[in-house]
Amino acid sequence: MTMTYLIKAENISYKINEKKLFQNISFEVNSNSAIHITGSNGSGKTTLLRIILGISKPTRGTVETNLTSGMCYLGHKNALKQYLTVEDNLILQSIQHNKALDTLLKDIDLYDKLDVVVSNLSFGQQKKIALLKVFLNESELLVLDEPCVGLDGKAQNFLTSFLQEELAKNKSIIFSSHINLNLDAKSINLDN
Amino acid sequence: MNILYFELLKLRKKSRGWLGPILVFILIMTAFPLTVEFLNEDLEQAFFSILWIAVLLVMMLATEDIFLEDYNDGSLEQLVIHTESLSFVIGVKILIYWALIGIPVSLIGSIYCLGITSSFEMALLIFPVLLISSYIFLNLFCFGNSLTLTKGSVLGTLITMPLLLPLLVVLGKVVIAINLGLNYFDFLILLLGVLSIIIVIIPLIISFVIRAHLE
Amino acid sequence: MIKKFIHQFASPKTYLKQVDRAYPYIFFTSLSIYLIAIFWGLFLTPEDFVQGHSYRIIYLHVPASFISQSLYLGMAFASAIFLIWKVKLSAYLVRSIAPIGAMTTFIALVSGSIWGIPTWGTWWAWDARIISTLILFIMYLGLISLHDSFTNNEKADKFLAILVLVGSVNIPIIKMSVEWWSTLHQSASITITQKPAIDPSMLYPLFASAIGFTGLVVCLVILSSKFHILDRERNKSWVKDYV
Repeated sequence: MTMTYLIKAENISYKINEKKLFQNISFEVNSNSAIHITGSNGSGKTTLLRIILGISKPTRGTVETNLTSGMCYLGHKNALKQYLTVEDNLILQSIQHNKALDTLLKDIDLYDKLDVVVSNLSFGQQKKIALLKVFLNESELLVLDEPCVGLDGKAQNFLTSFLQEELAKNKSIIFSSHINLNLDAKSINLDN
Repeated sequence: MNILYFELLKLRKKSRGWLGPILVFILIMTAFPLTVEFLNEDLEQAFFSILWIAVLLVMMLATEDIFLEDYNDGSLEQLVIHTESLSFVIGVKILIYWALIGIPVSLIGSIYCLGITSSFEMALLIFPVLLISSYIFLNLFCFGNSLTLTKGSVLGTLITMPLLLPLLVVLGKVVIAINLGLNYFDFLILLLGVLSIIIVIIPLIISFVIRAHLE
Repeated sequence: MIKKFIHQFASPKTYLKQVDRAYPYIFFTSLSIYLIAIFWGLFLTPEDFVQGHSYRIIYLHVPASFISQSLYLGMAFASAIFLIWKVKLSAYLVRSIAPIGAMTTFIALVSGSIWGIPTWGTWWAWDARIISTLILFIMYLGLISLHDSFTNNEKADKFLAILVLVGSVNIPIIKMSVEWWSTLHQSASITITQKPAIDPSMLYPLFASAIGFTGLVVCLVILSSKFHILDRERNKSWVKDYV
């Protein structure tokens, strides 16, 4: 019985200014599976994720996607408007203000920060706000680039258990992280 | 229209984005009579040149960080991933900027025209021309800005300036046409035709350029 | 199938080989044609009734302005090929034509203004054709500075191609400017459909000078393209054998 894949990558290579970054990366992602991309700094983890998302184009190789409800991406940049309040930023991301959001905010200790201008929050707090759209996502595939950067221990645990629940709910995760997230994930190392 | 609402929400708080150019325009138009001897008849002739150049400069200022801010904080990437039609979103964004900057500038320009020429008919006829030309300027400067998104906007807007010089020539002729009572409507239709082509093509080109930047 | 055809001719290595073979022929033929045309035009043609001897700068000015517009059209064509079929050689050619185009536009402007002194009494006038040629010159400079401001060469090529195509709207404006606005420039003396308005004794050296000048400019483009191709492909193995 063949499972239809959500994303299939075949023989992806990437060159920048005529120098090879990585080559012949192939993998297949099905429902409730996760892929952990590892490698040293500068090995091309972010680039590979961007190729998966379709923002960058590989020098060689193909990426085929089979998604119905899209991808949810959290990269290095937060996509938050620094001069707007948290609440306004949530409106921009089409996140409704309801009970689910309130419980979530309480869990990550940001319940009373709704009308604070984002530039007044710390780096970790901004990262938590950026993670809200991951927590409330309705996509089949999560693509996360170093999601734990800046998070304190409590938030990291919260994120890890959340991701484990998502996997159990038949979603897929592709992520890069230096920190081990204790997820049942296939590992792809770019240092070859 | 979610996109419209989002852009307005952003610009409401970031008032320097749209209020700044309008104030610069008022400053230029007010300063101009001070630098010209008041009693000259040339005031009227020089006025229109200053008007078009001021609109040009103000539109150039207005596009300074229209895409840069979104590029820097990652919203542009999210937009590219999640939107079906990036060019539509860009078109709406340019429309909002025009509505908040171009329309007030055209209004103020017409009022100044009334003040200098004391001809209500002239001010009335100049108003749609100002509206259309400010929109065309805005589109082309946004295109130039998007080309050099990562290198600062000055080079990009300077590069697109040569494309606008023929338009300035046409605008000069429109003023003469109004004065002589000649084919004003022909010019208006010409400008509308150019605008309609530009409104469709420029957002398409900009979306292509932005995707190329993000690669 | 068209893709295969184009990719066959798209290799910079074969381009350089063919161009190296053809270059001496093109150079010497066009140099001789142009020198003959100049000699003919300067010494063997009669005076103009109105302008006297000063019209003779036509043998430099007309080819230069014609070439500057044609080079831009060539760049637009190459840019379209680059964007559609991703042929890298096209992008190299666009970048190498740009400085030559700027140079010929400059020659056209300067020779035009030298011509203006005896004929119109002024070395500069704000008429439509002069303005649009000046715009063309600025556009060439803008294209070069845009491309050189990027460190990532693939992006630079793409943006250069887009700007060339968007700016090609200026070419019809130059050509039609003489008809749309009443200007100091005379309208075209040489059209395809009508008998030329210019005297045959001046027409033939004009054609000859146009052909010769075109050939010389092609030589310059070839030299420029060689430089750019070798520069961009310097890490490839065939370049080390070539140099």
